[in-house]
Amino acid sequence: MLREAVAKHRWWILLAIAGLAALAFVPFVLMPFHVRVGQLILLSTSLGLAWTLLGGFAGYWSFGHTAFIGLGAFAAGLFETQVLGLAFMRAEPLAGLGLGLLVGMGVCAVAAAIVAWPILRLRGIYFAVAMLGVAQVLAELTNSIDAFKGSMGLVFPRIPAFGLRQEAVFYYLLLIATAAILLIAFVVKNARIGHGLAAMREDEDTARMLGVPTERYKITMFVLSATLTGALGVIYAHSLGYITTGSVYRTDFSLNMIVYNLLGGMGTLLGPMIGAVIMVLLTQVVLGGFLNLHMFLTGAMLVALVLAAPKGIVGTWQAWRRRRASAAS
Amino acid sequence: MAGLAPPPRECRVVKPPILALNNVTKRFRGLVAADRVSLEVQPGSITSLIGPNGAGKSTIFNLVTGYLLPTEGEILFHGQPITGHATVRIARRGIARAFQIAKPFPEISVRDNVRVGALFGRDGPRDVADVTEQALDMAGLSNFADRPAGDLTVGFLRRLEIARAVAARPVLLLADEPCAGLNPSETEEVCDILRRVRDRGTTVFLVEHDMAAVMRISDHVIVLDAGAKIAEGTPAEISADPKVIAAYLGTPEDA
Amino acid sequence: MLALQTILDGLVLGGLYALAAVGFSLIFGVLGVVNLSHGAIVMIGAYLTWFLWHSTGLDPLLCIPPVMLVLFAFGYVYQRGLIQLAVDRSSLLASMLVTFGVALMLRNLLVLVFSPDFKSISPGWAFSFLRLAGGVTIDLVRISALGASLALLGALAYVLNRTRIGRVIRATAQQELAARLCGVNARHVYAVTFGVSAAFAGASGAILGIVLPFAPPDEANWTLNAFVVVVLGGIGSPSGALLGGLLLGLISTATSQLIGPAFPNAMMFLILVLMLMVRPSGLLGNAFAGSR
Repeated sequence: MLREAVAKHRWWILLAIAGLAALAFVPFVLMPFHVRVGQLILLSTSLGLAWTLLGGFAGYWSFGHTAFIGLGAFAAGLFETQVLGLAFMRAEPLAGLGLGLLVGMGVCAVAAAIVAWPILRLRGIYFAVAMLGVAQVLAELTNSIDAFKGSMGLVFPRIPAFGLRQEAVFYYLLLIATAAILLIAFVVKNARIGHGLAAMREDEDTARMLGVPTERYKITMFVLSATLTGALGVIYAHSLGYITTGSVYRTDFSLNMIVYNLLGGMGTLLGPMIGAVIMVLLTQVVLGGFLNLHMFLTGAMLVALVLAAPKGIVGTWQAWRRRRASAAS
Repeated sequence: MAGLAPPPRECRVVKPPILALNNVTKRFRGLVAADRVSLEVQPGSITSLIGPNGAGKSTIFNLVTGYLLPTEGEILFHGQPITGHATVRIARRGIARAFQIAKPFPEISVRDNVRVGALFGRDGPRDVADVTEQALDMAGLSNFADRPAGDLTVGFLRRLEIARAVAARPVLLLADEPCAGLNPSETEEVCDILRRVRDRGTTVFLVEHDMAAVMRISDHVIVLDAGAKIAEGTPAEISADPKVIAAYLGTPEDA
Repeated sequence: MLALQTILDGLVLGGLYALAAVGFSLIFGVLGVVNLSHGAIVMIGAYLTWFLWHSTGLDPLLCIPPVMLVLFAFGYVYQRGLIQLAVDRSSLLASMLVTFGVALMLRNLLVLVFSPDFKSISPGWAFSFLRLAGGVTIDLVRISALGASLALLGALAYVLNRTRIGRVIRATAQQELAARLCGVNARHVYAVTFGVSAAFAGASGAILGIVLPFAPPDEANWTLNAFVVVVLGGIGSPSGALLGGLLLGLISTATSQLIGPAFPNAMMFLILVLMLMVRPSGLLGNAFAGSR
């Protein structure tokens, strides 16, 4: 089935490989500021894709996915600074980062698996708001329990690698992460589980009746999505260099992951990528001068989107193509 | 072509029934929806369950598929009890149900709808592409395979419902009023599809109101009235049975 | 005596939670919409009261009626202009996203207009208190907060159960089509319901401002609180909100007293999830049961 999908989408796959390869040259060509914008675009793209593994594929819209950005960031940060120690991080920065990533992802996976059982019994709005609650609670605990250093803040060691500047290092890390998540999402979407999820998203009870193991599938996707989001949280935290609760547990992260998918097209792979690129360019470049209005503009964007194009860019485009095809036939 | 080889049709009488209900009773509070019903469905047949409104036909289907638990009695599938098993488990053993009110996945294509049946059916994901295309072809849906299921008309949705159920390669297909609300030519199409389903080796158990359709395609007909079985036999026997005529038209005293 | 003091504090907080949640509950019950901007409306109420009190010196409790009036109008327009549009165009889930977007816009506006710093309202009588038997104290602020919360909840219950518009609202919630056939303008009713909800959110904001310091980002907490109250008590009725609110107030005061000040939200969330699993329609069920 996967082979069939690869054959069907071979042009898109070639395009994606070419695009990722081209993006690898960006740090050599552009100014550091633009590389940072590139970082942000990659982070947003990969976050949108990680969210869509659950929200787009399974139809469980999480309103609090920033929980896993924060959890991953703090788990890795505490591990690197408290367990490995700064001396180790200075001697073996890449190994330290790798271990930190593993710990961050592991903690997110375990946390998601624990939360999954009660929370995934909820559907629709109840699930969405419960996730909002998860994020809120984790942020509060991080902030008020001293051992987690949420209010004092955590300093991440620098990661010197291959003689690259810091922003280039994180650019490449995010590029690799984006490629990996895109690959995972493609495989999932076209595998047996992907078809089961598509059915489940439309009608969970009928899907179960047809033999789709809905329970197992949604827990799998929740854990997968949380783990990948956690990995991105770890990389993001390192790129900041210093984090507090407020810099990684950010409601606007949760919101943006939904906005990218809505703007681009829910349940597709292209959708969140297009959505993220447009939103980042819009907010960072076009509206870069209105920093204090960011939240307002993102909110307004969301409202406008839901009202104007509830199916997103890809969905609208597909509908248009279908209309044209059926008019022709 | 896995699992779809035609069965030897002549073994019917010798083989044990594929589905048997032994004295099944279902009471809802005071109402008796099924009253000591015993019936058998022979493998390789199209067996129809008919009866006036409220006779208990849907109750029987709900009991067989595990949506309802019988108050008394026992349901055997291939000679083994499935009474009280979970719906999913019963589906896994090879009993599929096509609902009267089609439940398509509207936003995904017709092919992907059928593919879900093939992927998660009885044998698991084997020969998925072949099974999917065969089911589409058998239901006459090949030309619409790439359309989203939500675009189909009622008649085609009914076919999709059957195709999706058949793609799971069931041993027994329960078809719940597949012709309800269809025009004569659509009804004829559905009858053809059901015949094809049977000819490929899946036994069909049918609840239907359209008497003409029932008489045309059934090998065996069972009549329910007020929860109890009142007659069974070949279509010819049933249409001549005075008890059946009375149940449908009312006895002279009632009028 | 600590226990008694905790209970008393819990009741005061609970009354506030109940009042802040009742509007959210009403919209959820009548329109089926989860209004994620509810907390932001509570905050607007607090800021409007602060502004009136600060600029005119009017007693904050007397600010409640004008604040309610302004927010009623806001709620009416908000529903007819935006929410109804979202419901018509796509789905209830989409309408929830619209309210999420509006919440962010409002929070941002509040920061721009009033700064992100904490504000508080302290009327002249803020420092008088009663000493009850056994060393339990309660200040006038909190007595009046509890009193005002209960009075407003009672008023809303009266309106819903005894007046014509209340009956129309309940009828529309149960059977929109039937109500329309009886000549009810459902859209108007929905907008009025939203207006009422916003007005009571505003009133709770005013009272909240007297009891606690507040800042714009609190809005998320107030929305979440409202959600928990509804899940605990049941959808759509003032009595459900009161029950849920008081429970939540007692639970969070007890938790911060007994376990630690960092944990009320965590505890609340735990209870929320347990409740959703055990009894999804709340202790008192849906006041408009059978409607959806």
